[in-house]
Amino acid sequence: MKNPFESTGKVKTALSEQSYIASDEISTIVYLAQKLGKPLLTEGPAGVGKTELAKAIAGATGRELIRLQCYEGLDESKALYEWEYSKQLLYTQLLRDKLNDTLGKASSLSEAADKLAAEEDVFFSNRFLLQRPLLKAILCDEPTVLLIDEIDRADAEFEAFLLEVLSDFQVSVPELGTLTARHKPFVVLTSNNTRELSEALKRRCLYLFIDYPTIQEELAVVRLKVPDLNPKLAQQAVEFVQRLRNADMRKSPSISETLDWANALVALNAKNLDKATLEETLSVLVKHEADLQKARKQLINPTGRGKSDEYGRFSGN
Amino acid sequence: METRILQLIAALRASGVRVSLAESAEAFSAVDLMGIQHREHFRLSLRATLIKDVKDIPVFDKLFPLFFGSGQEPQMGGNPTDDMTPEEAQMYAEALRQFTDSLRKRMERLMNGEKLSREELESLAKMVGLNQTDDLRHQEWLAQRMMRAMAFPEVREAMRELMEELQRMGMSRDRIQDIQEKIQQNMQGIEDQIKQFAGERIAENLSEQPPGESVDNLMNRPFQSLSDADKKILQREVRRLAAALKTRIALRQKRAKSGQLDPKATIRANLKHDGIPMQLHFRDKTRKPKIVVICDISTSMRFCSELMLSFLFALQGQVSKTHAFAFIDHLEYISDEFNGSNPDEAITSVLWRMPSGHYNTDLGWSLNNFNEEYMSTLNGRTTLIVVGDGRNNFNDPRIDLFSLMSRRAARTIWLNPEPPHLWQGDSDMPKYAQLCNNVLKVSNLRELNAAVDSLLST
Repeated sequence: MKNPFESTGKVKTALSEQSYIASDEISTIVYLAQKLGKPLLTEGPAGVGKTELAKAIAGATGRELIRLQCYEGLDESKALYEWEYSKQLLYTQLLRDKLNDTLGKASSLSEAADKLAAEEDVFFSNRFLLQRPLLKAILCDEPTVLLIDEIDRADAEFEAFLLEVLSDFQVSVPELGTLTARHKPFVVLTSNNTRELSEALKRRCLYLFIDYPTIQEELAVVRLKVPDLNPKLAQQAVEFVQRLRNADMRKSPSISETLDWANALVALNAKNLDKATLEETLSVLVKHEADLQKARKQLINPTGRGKSDEYGRFSGN
Repeated sequence: METRILQLIAALRASGVRVSLAESAEAFSAVDLMGIQHREHFRLSLRATLIKDVKDIPVFDKLFPLFFGSGQEPQMGGNPTDDMTPEEAQMYAEALRQFTDSLRKRMERLMNGEKLSREELESLAKMVGLNQTDDLRHQEWLAQRMMRAMAFPEVREAMRELMEELQRMGMSRDRIQDIQEKIQQNMQGIEDQIKQFAGERIAENLSEQPPGESVDNLMNRPFQSLSDADKKILQREVRRLAAALKTRIALRQKRAKSGQLDPKATIRANLKHDGIPMQLHFRDKTRKPKIVVICDISTSMRFCSELMLSFLFALQGQVSKTHAFAFIDHLEYISDEFNGSNPDEAITSVLWRMPSGHYNTDLGWSLNNFNEEYMSTLNGRTTLIVVGDGRNNFNDPRIDLFSLMSRRAARTIWLNPEPPHLWQGDSDMPKYAQLCNNVLKVSNLRELNAAVDSLLST
């Protein structure tokens, strides 16, 4: 397959074809990660497009995206592999006759045991191995993109377990030995920074911090994803969101919320951001009751001197 | 270029960023790959490989331009006399003549739009002691001193007079404006040059700084005598300690096989019996540790409360079921603050929210608060850890409540910075001590380490 990631510029165009607007920073580091064959650790506030980035990379390179969502209590059997016991049991039952044939000719018990041992591999083979995302990414015939989402939610033990996978792209299954990746997957880890990740894990990755976008970047994203919104309104909406982020909120609106809001504005057929529209749609953008009241007080119904003209900017008059 | 990168890495390390050998090797291969022609690519390849934490990005952004330049040379306006007509030049020289010789020389130096030479910069550096500085916070201050040594303030003052003089001599207003702008730009250029030089020099000194005192020595130092940089190193050590604490608590709490039936293991074990379940297998019950910590952050404990709080922070990062409380005169729940990822911010916010007063520690009342609101956090699986000196200002110690709590919790542990022979005066420690499973003296990190060990090995 042709590799579309030949230079940083090409990374950028390839990603934008997947409707992902990558800054220079993102495209350079993605290029670097791909060239060095290193996992990419992306951090940043929720909803700035960390997961989207992995999807866009998969789309741009035409690779399959294998996703592992992390949560507290995630363990090897859910992330790596599991033996399919019921299938093994079923096969033993169904193959009983065949087993009898094989073993029947044995003259002594130890000979029968030896014969059975020779067939042991049948029952501990890939056939009975239930592949979970990590193993799937390693055994896949085609190169893949492996997304390990929200790694900070998994326990520290799981992180330690990931180290082997991330540094050597191999896993050890006791019954089968070590399985090495046929193609190195492109690994993207995301973290919301809710807890500190271990030094060992960080050392193995390249680090990319994605912050809230600038006003131009966000406007470009809104234009791209919600083309129906008229440009003037889009501009106003993005400015408003940016102002919300500067206000001290419990949960600042993310890009995905901006997009939801933009869609809502299109659905409501809003002409401009007047007070009524804002009141109606604000809950799409702001999810905490306390934040909602704060936003109303500060941005929509400002009292006191000097604030009224600020409101005027958003009333569309 | 390579030595420059190595210097940058050394300076990063000296500023408290952790850069491993593997990472610096990685940085070199990234630079090999990306080349150094494109400044932004070069910067990003270093940043992505060396910096793995948002908190460290500002440090990198500060140091990088000091080693590799800010990308633009300081802008000079050019010599104002260059495009003057002979009459104007005459006028200008006339106007300059009113100043004393030494001042005039300095004015000409700053105004003629020539950059400072390396020698000039060096001699200025020597004058203000720049070569002995390895703290970037002093950059601005030292640059100011270098500028003062070049008589910046006097020249600024004199320039205003010069302009007035020129005006009086009848030079056109536009012309004066033009000269003034040029001179200002020249001075700005020199100012930028000095600042950049000061920053570079400090950064170089920083990278030559011998590696900080080893963790071992720091661990023996009492909490009272630690500098900020030491605390940063220790915080890392504390984090390691908390990780150790967690695994050991988990190991100890692994109980007998009293859990649910484990069908998979049972089926496997009974394959040999033709699938008839003759041997039952049960899930091992790994109990997740639960910890409740109550921490004294009053004045008498201030010297160590910051480190103790960072210990709590690290603990909470490791053990998800941690409830942390802090008290002075009353109890407050602080786990919410500790759910972010920046220990410094969390600790500052707690210390700011609960300012210490004067002799107002009241553990008794705080225990009462706990009893009323948070008693449900204690149960047979909880380890209760109290951090404090037990000095109660002669308030009611509420031994009754404490004994209730210690009976509800699986274990009660008290970490006290004071040794037993100091438990006098307003200390209620002897009374509390009887109710604890362990009382451990913790006045430096080594003792905290030993405390964690002994807690878990018994």
